[in-house]
Amino acid sequence: MKDSIKRTTIADRILFLFLIVISISGIFISKEALPQGSDVIIEIDGKPEYTLPLNIDKTISVNGPYGITRIQIKDKKVRIMEAHCPNQLCVKNGWISRGVIVCLPNRILIIVGSGNNPGKDIDAITG
Amino acid sequence: MNIFRKPILFIFMLGLMFALSCSANKQATYRKSKTLMDTFVTITVVSDSKEKAETSIDNAFTVMERFGNRINFFSEESELSLINKNAGVKEVKVSPETLDLIENAVYVSEKSGGAFDPTIGPLIKLWDFYKKIKPSYTEISGVLHLVNYKNIVIDRNGSTVFLKRKGMLLDLGGIAKGYAADMAVADLKRNGIQAGIVAIAGDIKTFGAKPDGNPWNIGIRNPRQKSESDEVIAKIKLSDMAISTSGDYERYFLQDGKRYHHLLVPRTGRPADCCRSVSIIADKGAFADAFSTAVFILGPEKGLELVQKLGMDAVIIDNNGRILTTQNIKRKIKIERFD
Amino acid sequence: MQSQDKYRIAVFSAYALALHGFESMLPTPIPWLRLGLSNIITLVALLLYGFRTAMTVTLIRVILASIFKGTFLGPAFILSLGGGISSTAVMGFVYALHKKLFGPIGLSLLGALFHNLAQLTLAYFLFIQRIEAVLVISPVIILIGTLTGVVNGIVSELLINMLKKDEEKFQNVAH
Repeated sequence: MKDSIKRTTIADRILFLFLIVISISGIFISKEALPQGSDVIIEIDGKPEYTLPLNIDKTISVNGPYGITRIQIKDKKVRIMEAHCPNQLCVKNGWISRGVIVCLPNRILIIVGSGNNPGKDIDAITG
Repeated sequence: MNIFRKPILFIFMLGLMFALSCSANKQATYRKSKTLMDTFVTITVVSDSKEKAETSIDNAFTVMERFGNRINFFSEESELSLINKNAGVKEVKVSPETLDLIENAVYVSEKSGGAFDPTIGPLIKLWDFYKKIKPSYTEISGVLHLVNYKNIVIDRNGSTVFLKRKGMLLDLGGIAKGYAADMAVADLKRNGIQAGIVAIAGDIKTFGAKPDGNPWNIGIRNPRQKSESDEVIAKIKLSDMAISTSGDYERYFLQDGKRYHHLLVPRTGRPADCCRSVSIIADKGAFADAFSTAVFILGPEKGLELVQKLGMDAVIIDNNGRILTTQNIKRKIKIERFD
Repeated sequence: MQSQDKYRIAVFSAYALALHGFESMLPTPIPWLRLGLSNIITLVALLLYGFRTAMTVTLIRVILASIFKGTFLGPAFILSLGGGISSTAVMGFVYALHKKLFGPIGLSLLGALFHNLAQLTLAYFLFIQRIEAVLVISPVIILIGTLTGVVNGIVSELLINMLKKDEEKFQNVAH
């Protein structure tokens, strides 16, 4: 195994470093670049189903392929409280105050953003 | 293509593109709201500078305010009030915008066979949707003869308007906001803004595209909203088009289980009851606004026929909550939920 | 195609399938994030027998695995197919351009990177359609892919050396 690493070419090493640097800085940049939102948008199957204010404590339940997923909003933070997907990653994700929680098995996406902001879902409402 | 011979370089460039793609987009959307024309107006523009965006929005607000003052039904000094006061007396000289607005109103009246009628003022005056006042049949039949757009005399050369019968009242509320949206968009374009939205309450005019190149996404309000999450019943992508909605939920009161709302049938003086809401998509805001009222009065069948004939589009939510649309926009519209 | 090629493809596909199956039994943090163990087989096939063999092995592996799992032509299959084809294509393309520029580890890294990029793009269009969500998970996935890519690269190299020695022995005996 040591030999394998010794035998790497310069290009191998540059590529490795490049990917590490890009991805680690990407993790930080994407966290920083996220807008501080005032709404919790819950998308199911790619469709926004709920837009809830972040500053009102609430617990809601949504149905998915793995049964009921419970989402809790409290103290301007949101988390998936309970889910029945196999890996439970979304629950382990814990509380977020910005950014997203993805639960792919249940096709649930929780976004902290602004429901009515430009660039988001709806730009204006008629009626 | 030497660059492909050097994969490292190629990969570096890929990474560079990845990194730059976040910051390259300088165009941003700016929005500002103001209470104008007795309603809430929001203008959104796409611009590369905040100052430019704000000055052009403020400019458009001024244009709309000036226009709004001229056609204000309730203000004594407005051109509209002058026309109404001089009904059956004499013609009144008005500004070119007011004249054009009234011409547009008469055009929609003609096309809709009187379903839309700007002389509906005397009828509207009988109803009070805040105090829940429902006029009697005798009161209604007493003013019905005053409601007829054919009694508006427009002299384009002299720039004058005359109402033939005394007691006639012109009410441009069903077209003025859409028209003002057209004016605001024209003003923004003159000031170098290439994309944005003017939303005067529910009368919306879009132009250009969002900074990411996509069309604007407009939600159509759910006429029977029950909670915060079902505010929007359908979504539609628009660019360089206007959309307006007339709904029975805007000004109404419930009495004895019946809903009395402000969309009155000019011939009967009573609320139309075929639809819950009608949204019209047209290139002109004035037409979207006025035809949404006209189609609401006409009902889904005749309404869709008229709209299709005129090359416009409609989204109608009928009395049973069904969503009907013109063929054209079936693909562009996304229905959110049925009740 | 010579019968020797057919034999190799069959053996390699079998190994790839076995690894693929083994891998899908391991618990992973994100459902469609995989260690990419079957990429080891693709890479070995590419370096020893060329691009056509590698691509054939990849396609057989993806299709058969999805048929066994019952996801054939479903969304998971599309993700798997997109990832497999693009990683194999990129590794083959780069290797064809310059044989000595990247070693097995570098090629494995490229394979993992493009596997992930293709899957993220497909996932964006098929399920997520929220660019923020994709941008947030992309760096994490690329980072994990880089780490597993190195491990896979090392394993590939060891495997290649073993196989080469075996072939030499075999040839020596034959002579």
